[in-house]
Amino acid sequence: MKITRRSFLKISGATAAGTVMGGLGFDFSPVESYAQELRIKGAKETTTVCCYCSVGCGIIVHTDAKGKVINTEGDPDHPTSEGALCAKGMSLYQLINNKDRLTKVLYRAPNSTKWEEKSWDWALTEMAKRIKKSRDASFTEKNDKGQVVNRTNGIAGIGSCHVNNEEGWLYQKFLRALGLVYIEMEARL
Amino acid sequence: MAEGKSFFVDTTKCTACRGCQVACKQWNQRPGEKTYNQGSHQNPPDLSSNTWKVVRFSEAVGEKLNWYFFPDQCRHCVSPPCKDVAEGKAKGAVIQDDKTGAVIFNPKVKIKAEDFKEVKESCPYNIPRISGAGVMAKCTMCFDRIKEGLLPACVKACPTGTMHFGDRKAMLEMANKRLAEVKGVYKNATLTDPDDVRVIFLLIDDPKKYHKTAVAENTIGITRKMALKRILKPLKDFQWIG
Repeated sequence: MKITRRSFLKISGATAAGTVMGGLGFDFSPVESYAQELRIKGAKETTTVCCYCSVGCGIIVHTDAKGKVINTEGDPDHPTSEGALCAKGMSLYQLINNKDRLTKVLYRAPNSTKWEEKSWDWALTEMAKRIKKSRDASFTEKNDKGQVVNRTNGIAGIGSCHVNNEEGWLYQKFLRALGLVYIEMEARL
Repeated sequence: MAEGKSFFVDTTKCTACRGCQVACKQWNQRPGEKTYNQGSHQNPPDLSSNTWKVVRFSEAVGEKLNWYFFPDQCRHCVSPPCKDVAEGKAKGAVIQDDKTGAVIFNPKVKIKAEDFKEVKESCPYNIPRISGAGVMAKCTMCFDRIKEGLLPACVKACPTGTMHFGDRKAMLEMANKRLAEVKGVYKNATLTDPDDVRVIFLLIDDPKKYHKTAVAENTIGITRKMALKRILKPLKDFQWIG
């Protein structure tokens, strides 16, 4: 390249300006060098509730065309959290994309040291069996004064912060139908 | 380019929940690191090529225990010294966006270990880190997000109202307003280098108590050595173009 006086002036001028501008104007543009499409562009958005503490913050789950979760972040429209999330809620992405994630039911029998893989059918039937057994054993039809109480004293129920009002109502209805009186809510713990 | 974007980090509201730290990892898809208990809640112990944001915990034991929380990250200097130094070493390794002022380490440009050392030393805040593959890494101001009008991941996540992001003028206004409010209670409250950087922290005590490099260690701008390098640089560029 031939250096004319004019281009030399231009360059040295740029050098002087460089102390302020920080560069000679030969920059790669960040858009080109760091060309990166927004990862969640066009992704499907599904709302959910954080599975951890009782605050129940809103989360948006971004999934790609194949249904794979590609991002999770706070839901700005959620009344509880208004888009904010703590460290645990923010890490929700790892709940899905995690090689250590449990994908099958694991069961450890009383006094056993081993986990066994079981099916969901087995687990649900087993739970139902145990609820029935415990309920039958601890059901009190009448109290000491002879009043009808129909109580199940052997089981306690804890509601979840991650269900909505209607689901919560159905859940407590189910517990009361069993005769439970120890009914708590995660939000109060 | 005095305008562009800026962060305002109001540490008086920070509870060190580390939501920002995890949000940064999550959005930028950085893997976790195996760490050991350092005797502090701070984890990981430092920034790395995979950790671009870290909440620093400093304890000062005096009459009463003071616990300082400092969500450390790249300050996106208005005139970034790292860019000046890197320019002569690995062209295009550090770029600055004209519109936002974001200072970005180009993931496509490799840099030699000894050159990286100089880049790191030029940073008044000890931010640049390098990966095993020879690529520098740090906070990108979530460039991909902000160019689409989204908030940076850390700001979006913050549940306490510590992290703010917006036009530089608005952020400076917010920072000064909050400083005036806080001054009434905390006499030593300061803003960290508000004229030189785009990530402005509000601290209520001596910045050194928060972190060694909470404020610039050396003055930002051109040191004598760097100025000399700049003068020599155009000649090198001629050869390049020619």
